[in-house]
Amino acid sequence: MLNFFLLILIYTCIYAFMSLGQNLITGYTGMLSLCAAGFFAIGSYTTAILMTKFAWSWWSTVPVAILLSALLGVLIGLPTLRLKGDYLAIATLGFAEIVRNVINNWDALTNGPMGIQRIPMISFFGLKVSPYSKYGFLLLEVVLLAICWFLLERLVKSRMGRALEAIREDEIAAASVGVNVTKYKVVSFAIGAGVSGIAGCLQAGFVLSVSPGSYVFMVSIMVLCTVVLGGMGNFLAVMLGAFIIQFISYLPQLIGLSSVIPAQAKQIIFGLILVIMMIYRPQGILGRKKRDNSRAQAFYDQANGDTRNAGRKDIGLEESGAKCEEEGRV
Amino acid sequence: MGSAGMFFQHLMNGLTLGGIYALIALGYTMVYGILKFINFAHGDILMVGAYIGLFVFDLLRGSSPLGPWWIAAFFIAMLVSMVCCAFLGMLIERVAYKPLRKGSRLAPLLSAIGVSFILSNGAAWLFGTHSRKLEYPFDNSPISIGSVVITPHQIMVLVVAVVMMVLLKLFVGKSKMGKAMRATSLDGETAKLMGINSDMIISLTFGIGSALAACGGMLIALDYKVYATMGTMIGLKAFVAAVVGGIGNITGAMLGGFLLGLLETFGVAVFGIPQGFKDTIAFAVLIIILLVKPEGLLGKVEKEKV
Amino acid sequence: MKKIIAFAVVALLAMSMCFAGGDKESSADGAVVKIGFIGPLTGDYANYGTLCRQAVEMAIDEINAKGGVNGASIKLFAEDSEGDSQKALAAMEKLSSSDKVCAIIGPVLTGETFSVAERAQAEGIVIITPSASHKDITNVGDYIFRTTPSDGLQGEVAGKYWSQVLGYTKLAVLYAKNDYSQGLYESMSEAFTQDGGQIVAAETFMVGDKDFKTQLTKLKNTDAQAIYLPDYTAEMAQILEQAAQLGIDKPFLSGDGFLSEEIYSLAGQYTDGVVYTASARVEESNKNKEFKDAYTARWGIGPDSFATNAYDATYILVSVIEKVGTDRKAIKTGMEQVKDFEGVNGIINFAPNGDLVAYQGIYEVHGTTPEYLGAFAVEDGKLVQVQ
Repeated sequence: MLNFFLLILIYTCIYAFMSLGQNLITGYTGMLSLCAAGFFAIGSYTTAILMTKFAWSWWSTVPVAILLSALLGVLIGLPTLRLKGDYLAIATLGFAEIVRNVINNWDALTNGPMGIQRIPMISFFGLKVSPYSKYGFLLLEVVLLAICWFLLERLVKSRMGRALEAIREDEIAAASVGVNVTKYKVVSFAIGAGVSGIAGCLQAGFVLSVSPGSYVFMVSIMVLCTVVLGGMGNFLAVMLGAFIIQFISYLPQLIGLSSVIPAQAKQIIFGLILVIMMIYRPQGILGRKKRDNSRAQAFYDQANGDTRNAGRKDIGLEESGAKCEEEGRV
Repeated sequence: MGSAGMFFQHLMNGLTLGGIYALIALGYTMVYGILKFINFAHGDILMVGAYIGLFVFDLLRGSSPLGPWWIAAFFIAMLVSMVCCAFLGMLIERVAYKPLRKGSRLAPLLSAIGVSFILSNGAAWLFGTHSRKLEYPFDNSPISIGSVVITPHQIMVLVVAVVMMVLLKLFVGKSKMGKAMRATSLDGETAKLMGINSDMIISLTFGIGSALAACGGMLIALDYKVYATMGTMIGLKAFVAAVVGGIGNITGAMLGGFLLGLLETFGVAVFGIPQGFKDTIAFAVLIIILLVKPEGLLGKVEKEKV
Repeated sequence: MKKIIAFAVVALLAMSMCFAGGDKESSADGAVVKIGFIGPLTGDYANYGTLCRQAVEMAIDEINAKGGVNGASIKLFAEDSEGDSQKALAAMEKLSSSDKVCAIIGPVLTGETFSVAERAQAEGIVIITPSASHKDITNVGDYIFRTTPSDGLQGEVAGKYWSQVLGYTKLAVLYAKNDYSQGLYESMSEAFTQDGGQIVAAETFMVGDKDFKTQLTKLKNTDAQAIYLPDYTAEMAQILEQAAQLGIDKPFLSGDGFLSEEIYSLAGQYTDGVVYTASARVEESNKNKEFKDAYTARWGIGPDSFATNAYDATYILVSVIEKVGTDRKAIKTGMEQVKDFEGVNGIINFAPNGDLVAYQGIYEVHGTTPEYLGAFAVEDGKLVQVQ
């Protein structure tokens, strides 16, 4: 049972990297992205290919994986200059599907649907970080995660973080006070993507084989879930969200229920918990109700390319008439 | 077969596939138009509709031989399935989405994913994981027109899709209910002030959207069999179609559906790339379309105001 | 409302925990042998996993009804892999360290089997896959066995039969971009082109695709003499039906995906004339038929070839446990010594690498009934019929 709990923690950490990246893109900058699976896949395959075909060490594949994921992030970031809300979501989903489709069909590089097996274990100064003895692997993950978290917190507390939040709250207002919206949106995507890519490296290092079936659309959805469930715009919260999602989905196995109840029941319970959690805490576990609601509202409105409602909630009735006139002019 | 024949064959295949996407995209677009959220469980409602239709149809036709009764039974089954799914849709809306209407837009999305898990796994639990066959209610032997081969089923899909779109367009555009729907979609709060029972309208929208899904589900089931995860992929693609057409716009959803169907069949043929890359081509073209028209093909341009 | 739902869920969870607890108590009465199973029980591949799980469950119930093994009753721990390597690994972990099973039947899909096999080898626990046919799987280590023929074998016999017996020189192929389908296609193609044959067109699709008319329209316009479909049952049924709708009159060739009874209920008359390769049939043995009947009677649906393999795998495993006990290492040694085991698939032996030693059968469908044309093997590039 302890062993299995450690496994859940290992998976949590893998997901947590993606949650951090997603949080920067969605939670901080307010862009709805459904591409986590794409970044995850790029990270995994970069590590797998470089380690098996070119005998690189795991450590040297990580920067390459981050770079390649970030590159995809930039590529996806560019359309964001024109797209909003669900249109952006679909474009990013499209990119993720393209990545998976290319991986599945580019047999010469990725070995197609067969996947890549026998990836060597991660070694640390000659010391093997074996996925079989979980403590070592978990330690590696936690250290890397802590570094990422620290850097991201520094980032969002900096000038750039304020710029990102300004973009989320009101893009046009941000631009009008001199925030370079174009640059920050693309940079946000690039960094978020790079961080998510690390998850892929770890996945390859833990499972020791990669196949296209692991990078499906559902992964992107689950990562989005971790962010919403934890609380948007809070890095600690989304990592907690990652834990909760993993914990719920493996709970039946942890308590030995999974071989007793039908397999479908496990999934149904997972679905029920999602629905109930959302009904009780739509703002997420650590999301603060007041603040997050206004954030969510802003996100809601911005996503629709519509800032009218956000304005209307805040202004009194007498002002709204003037507001409407103004709208006519713009 | 000459290249012209090939062209028309691909065209016919693409239109049928697109017709199905279009029909499902209609449901997405209606719900989105009013609630501004992606109903992820739509594909699963489609699956439930297909199961109900299958059971009712098999019950009605019993052991009678293929004949006009089968066609009647098929459409009765479709009606029953549409009504059941309409109620199912309303129930889901009441339980899983309504409590979340005020909060973040992403909360109902997660709730919808939960519902999707419950429906698809519930069906697998109740009905088993194997595929079932829904018999054609008519003789589906292909008809050759020149070198192009068309099946009666393909014609039916196209006819039903177009009829449904026209009916929906008329309902939303001309009827009093439709007017209330449009008002709610434009601004729910104000609509309420004008005496529109917006809760009822939202419920109704879910009902109609789900009924359309059930109708689409039965049409697909004829060609593609009935199983618990049948709605997932096709639901996702229909959603893409709805967005590309300009989400919230009924004609746009149809257009997006047909476009996606044609892209999937023609994309690879035109670019001369292996068939495996068909999704890549389809998605790449869709992204380009969105870049050129960021609000979708027929979406309203919403000017941002400060 | 909210409270009612929450209460219901808590009650449900509590109830199921009680069941779980109760189960443990009852098993504490006598000695218990624990066997694990891993396969996709939910998701897109759920049917393949479910059919196999049912076969394993049935075998274990039969054995328990006859008094179990060495006086102990067998308990099955079935885990869902959802068809994903990460989930499969978690299942393996749970079975191995929490439940402490002595051996595992499964996993079912090739991708998940690779990730589980590495771990099984490292932990020293036997896995017997009923279905993962990729030729490299058993090379992962000596704890990996399978009761399904390697793709290499099936594809080789298929390629040689198409060219040497049916006399085809030009084939078209429509295969899924997944491990099973592509593996079978590649090894068939290798054998076929060795004989001077030519693959004039190879079209692909994704598992879960529903419309194959584009690919079929292309294949229709080639000069291929026949179309090879190394695919899963569900897709194959749709391909056959849509091919008929497009008026394709080329003969179809297939693989062991055709062994599932389901194909005849889904594709009906369109299966007429298909020639396919699958495990050689056991002659003069009612065992196969008895198994199929019992399976159908119990589960309401016929077994596919993987389920049949899973049933055999369970009996082989139990026979080994009967001899050597439940020590994991002893089971591995016992598995290596299995000789001429009489299963429902015929006489079963394992090659030194853990592969199934098997002959391939050729079948031809008349209407919706397959006719057995005999067992074949390839010796020095020549197809020979085996008695």
